[in-house]
Amino acid sequence: MTSLNVNGRVHELEIEPHQTLAEVLRDKLGLIGVRVSCGEGECGSCTVLVDGRPTTSCLTLALQVEGKEVMTIEGLGNEDDLHPIQQAFIDEQGFQCGVCTPGIIMSSKALLDADPHPTTEKVTAALSGHICRCGAYPEIVRSVLHAADLMGGDCDC
Amino acid sequence: MTAKQGYTVVGKAIPVKDAKEKVCGTIKYPVDFELPGMLYGKIIRSTEAHARIKSIDTSKAEKVPGYVGVVTHEDAPDLDWHGVWFNYVGHIFDGIARFNGDEIGAVAATSKRAAEESLRLIVVEYEPLPAVFDEDEALLPDAPQVQAAGNAREPNVYEWGDLEAGKKAADHSVSADVKFGSQQMAPMGRNAAIAEWSGDDRVTLYTGTQSPSELRDGVAQAFGVSQSKVRVVGMPLGASFGEFWSNNFMMVACLLAKKMRRPVKIELTNAECMAHVKRRHNEHCRAGMGCTKDGEITFIDVYHIMDNGGYGFKVEVGYFNIDNWGARARSGRYECQGVSTNLVTGGCMRGVGDITMGSIVERMADQLAEKCGIDPVEFRIRNQIKPGDPLRQTWGKTLMRGDQEDWEKLMRRSGREAPKELLDNLPRLFHLSSGSSEGILRKGAEAFAWKDKFLGWGKPYKAVGPKRYAVGVGTGIHLCGEEMEGNTDAVVRIMKDGSAKLYCSVGRHGTSADTTQAQIAAETLGIPIERIEVETGDTDSCPWSRGSLASTTLFRTGFKTWAACLDARRQLLELAAQEFFVPSNPSKLDIKDGLIFSKDPACALGRGCGPSDKHVSISDVMTHMRADALGPTDSITGRPAFPMPPSSAFSRHFAAQFCEVEVDVETGQIRLVDFLVAQDSGTVINPKVFAGQIVGGAIVGAGFALSELLHFDDKGAVINANLSDYKVLRMTDWPSASTKTLWEEDPDPVGPFGARSAGEAPIAAAPVAIQQAVYNAAGVWVDLPMTPEKVLDAIKKAEGRDTARSTIIDRVPVSTPTSAS
Repeated sequence: MTSLNVNGRVHELEIEPHQTLAEVLRDKLGLIGVRVSCGEGECGSCTVLVDGRPTTSCLTLALQVEGKEVMTIEGLGNEDDLHPIQQAFIDEQGFQCGVCTPGIIMSSKALLDADPHPTTEKVTAALSGHICRCGAYPEIVRSVLHAADLMGGDCDC
Repeated sequence: MTAKQGYTVVGKAIPVKDAKEKVCGTIKYPVDFELPGMLYGKIIRSTEAHARIKSIDTSKAEKVPGYVGVVTHEDAPDLDWHGVWFNYVGHIFDGIARFNGDEIGAVAATSKRAAEESLRLIVVEYEPLPAVFDEDEALLPDAPQVQAAGNAREPNVYEWGDLEAGKKAADHSVSADVKFGSQQMAPMGRNAAIAEWSGDDRVTLYTGTQSPSELRDGVAQAFGVSQSKVRVVGMPLGASFGEFWSNNFMMVACLLAKKMRRPVKIELTNAECMAHVKRRHNEHCRAGMGCTKDGEITFIDVYHIMDNGGYGFKVEVGYFNIDNWGARARSGRYECQGVSTNLVTGGCMRGVGDITMGSIVERMADQLAEKCGIDPVEFRIRNQIKPGDPLRQTWGKTLMRGDQEDWEKLMRRSGREAPKELLDNLPRLFHLSSGSSEGILRKGAEAFAWKDKFLGWGKPYKAVGPKRYAVGVGTGIHLCGEEMEGNTDAVVRIMKDGSAKLYCSVGRHGTSADTTQAQIAAETLGIPIERIEVETGDTDSCPWSRGSLASTTLFRTGFKTWAACLDARRQLLELAAQEFFVPSNPSKLDIKDGLIFSKDPACALGRGCGPSDKHVSISDVMTHMRADALGPTDSITGRPAFPMPPSSAFSRHFAAQFCEVEVDVETGQIRLVDFLVAQDSGTVINPKVFAGQIVGGAIVGAGFALSELLHFDDKGAVINANLSDYKVLRMTDWPSASTKTLWEEDPDPVGPFGARSAGEAPIAAAPVAIQQAVYNAAGVWVDLPMTPEKVLDAIKKAEGRDTARSTIIDRVPVSTPTSAS
């Protein structure tokens, strides 16, 4: 049995050595907000935070994160209690089909935690590992800048 | 961008209906969906481009724990099924592989891993057949034949004016001969099909599709069951761009579930999505164009071949540039021919034909403009179609019974319940009803400071070291849905509590069609948008509809949504008038915020009818004990009571885009510096959804212009079916900070609230603008995609030829395939 700390809860799970973090989060914990697209770390849609750092869960073995804190979109907020970044993405419509959205929001969280007042260039660079095939890039950048405003730059959320 | 005057919700940038689910990660795509007792399927794919299947040996796979069984061509019904718009015509399996990766069987197991392991152990023996991969070679007399019907589809021709006279009258003429590789939809999030059979040959299929109704018909056809036995539940899916309409893997899931007598889920890998489902056609465009010295176009002559791959049967790409550039051209001839090859099926990707043939016609127009010394913005304004001009794409003419007057009579007769405003403003068929590129070109040029940066053809406005900076402009056009391949429909139900549910079969692939349809319904019914829900995917409840393709949704489905809501509204007001108002006159009544009130003091609410003396709520009307029925109404269903005019015969939507590029003449690298995306789509229903559509279109078009290209090996296998080697644009490739949008809203006389469509024209304008900007920066025309190698190559060639600025092949356009190079 392996202990995985996901979204602030510790789960005791039987994990096989070959299983990726994405597989375990989706198939064993039902966290479908972890979206797998390319499966090879190119598109960023499966991004979760591991000890606060954006990590492509499709390329990470689940056993590698034992003892670390994993956060998925489900841990950030929900429909009744949206995180300001989620609210900002709604306000600016920083998405279309929604597949890349959870991963982008998680990377945005890591960025805003490290830099509460990022410039457009910093946002673009921080999200360069994400593909939005619908082409919502300008709206995504605006969403993150708006999130920074909503969070006031000093929010510990 | 405020709401239109007098409208409550049309024109408002309300958040889309599934916004919370998308930002919280709770929205369910097919990959997230499972059924009790479900098996997992994997598709056995051919490793040959063209072969007869001799045997499929499963003996090793059978030993895998969890293996359940396989299906092959021996289990498949001997029936053809036809995908939407001839994007697929074939059997589920028929014992022949027609492309590398073709479906030839499928295996089912109790877990995903067991299915993958079983697939790995299945051995297929092939009898290879000769294969053909090039659209020109496929037309040669001794070419291997991919389909029993032969490789060549019947050419499709449009002509007007006297072409020979047009050629003679030209003071300047140019030509082009360009082969386009394939763009891949490169969908995000994969797709899955989950099928379950029950009882008496009834099947339910859950999958991500842009066209649930047409998929239902395909399943019925493939299995020879009645359409009433098939239920498709169309689910949300990732960016699709035409990839997921009705695809053979969905049929394979149904077949596997039928034989296994258990629900089966087939989830595609990213590589399968990119290599084995569908792609944009490979195309070969040969064309010529000429004009007088004053810049009046005297002829356009286009011969275009498109490669349909293994199972496509399309006879033409959508060449709507024929309308944009042809309306005012003295003469023209467009010929298009579909060809089968042993490559993965080619089909309609967003902006089909616009982005390929359209870009050639625009490039030739630019070269003519240069010869005449005319600015590209001005050249477009002078020559492109305006409202009232004739359309050259005239599919429907052969179906006309009589002339315009006869048609209008028929419309008035069958459309008795249509609003007078519509019947008084019926469009003139085969002429443009509204909109054009003119307004957006003028406004765009001003907003982009075009005149400051366009210093003349082939002239950068700035140079810094090896870097050249210049601007370009491009236009795009597409139709707003089309009627002959199938109509659209919608139904609305008013609930007892005054809420409403709209049923319209459309796709949920990121275009937020459910939200814009709900806005149309809310505006028409006078019910708050929060109280309107939309069912888009379930064919058991939604009436048949074309789905979301060919830019159909907002214009055609939106029209039917509006018409269905008008019908429900009429019923509501008649009932309210009968039961509540004195005198009983529904024409004096209106609905706002779910409350019915009289617009005329002479028609008043009867005494003691409700809690208010000013209005009565919809729920009061629905639950009121009727004097005629001695009971409540409880349910109102609204259906369109009048036909929709044939939109392909009058409506188009227009894009104009301006861009600035930086071209490094030493490395060939192109960087996008600035982009202005402008559009005329009539009334904009939701500005945020609309802006997303037009900018997103520009970005996918820019990807085709700069880096997107599917590569095949010499056995016809796709070798870059992944997002590392297939280069879509990333956040850092697009100038987000400087991206601007603007639009003109010339209202359409037919479209709902004056709206037209939006999604396909923008993808076509971007490559043109970028290509022209690169020419202005570096003095060379470069074929798409303009990779650094091609840019450098073109620059070197041009330098070698001293005086020549262009790489265009200057030869007379050919009009027969025998002249193919």
